[in-house]
Amino acid sequence: MSTESSSQHTASFGFRDVPANEKEKLVRGVFSSVARNYDLMNDLMSGGVHRLWKDAMVDWLNPQPSFKCLDVAGGTGDIAFRIAKSTKRKGRAADITVCDINPDMLAEGVKRAEVLGEKSIGWVAGDAQALPLPDNSFDTYTIAFGIRNVTRIDKALEEARRVLKPGGRFLCLEFSQVVVPGLDVLYDKFSFHILPKLGEVVAGDREAYQYLIESIRRFPPQAKFGRMIEEAGLSHVTIRNLSGGIAAMHSAWKI
Amino acid sequence: MEPDPKLLDVLVCPITKTTLVYDRERQELVSKAAGLAYPIRSGIPIMRPDEARELSEEERTKR
Repeated sequence: MSTESSSQHTASFGFRDVPANEKEKLVRGVFSSVARNYDLMNDLMSGGVHRLWKDAMVDWLNPQPSFKCLDVAGGTGDIAFRIAKSTKRKGRAADITVCDINPDMLAEGVKRAEVLGEKSIGWVAGDAQALPLPDNSFDTYTIAFGIRNVTRIDKALEEARRVLKPGGRFLCLEFSQVVVPGLDVLYDKFSFHILPKLGEVVAGDREAYQYLIESIRRFPPQAKFGRMIEEAGLSHVTIRNLSGGIAAMHSAWKI
Repeated sequence: MEPDPKLLDVLVCPITKTTLVYDRERQELVSKAAGLAYPIRSGIPIMRPDEARELSEEERTKR
């Protein structure tokens, strides 16, 4: 568990507790270091399954062409491009904004948008805990594999509620707690023994991937995270597990 | 690279949540309320106080 709940001065960085302001710097370092290999590493980490999880997220989101969509911590555009594609099939691309704290991750997304000729996405660097966006302005707020890296999750959830329009939808995809007996043992072996090695060989950065794994384990399990979303003032929380709980989606509404 | 004009229209100061003034020449988004100028780099607005420039006394009163 993070000591964050009992004290404002430290936050979890993997299994280490570090001063809260340090965490941001450390997390930034991790993502700057992996930005260029981020997609490749995700494929290796999940056996390509992260693509299916993200597809499932945008399926459930069911965005409409008239929507204004905000994707937070989605620097490389994985969710944004899917929203664009899904809404284009329904007529035209939704109006999409990607906000990520890390400009290096955004630079990757911008590059991909140029290659794809995708013009429906705006890219901005900003903090999930202090969004540079007005109140009541988005139909959907998505965050995929991002909230775990935020220093104060409660603040990020409050900001999500603030920028959503009344009737707007919150949808989060994050690693979670395995709920299938037996799978947890295999998953442990894979993540603690094989993944850091993969990170070292492929991205040349064992520590960054070690951090990713540890941060996954420290993130609150499904029900607890669901309660945090409610505490932030969002309603009707629904949870869907993916791949036996390796990941989970949390959906909620601003009423 | 020029920033997306549609995006510039919606952005607000992350601290005060008030509107910003686009300084095209300097490629900055100015929040008079917070006394900060947020840089735009390679067309991407960097809306982080830790990356922003503090406005001078003169800038604060003039603009």
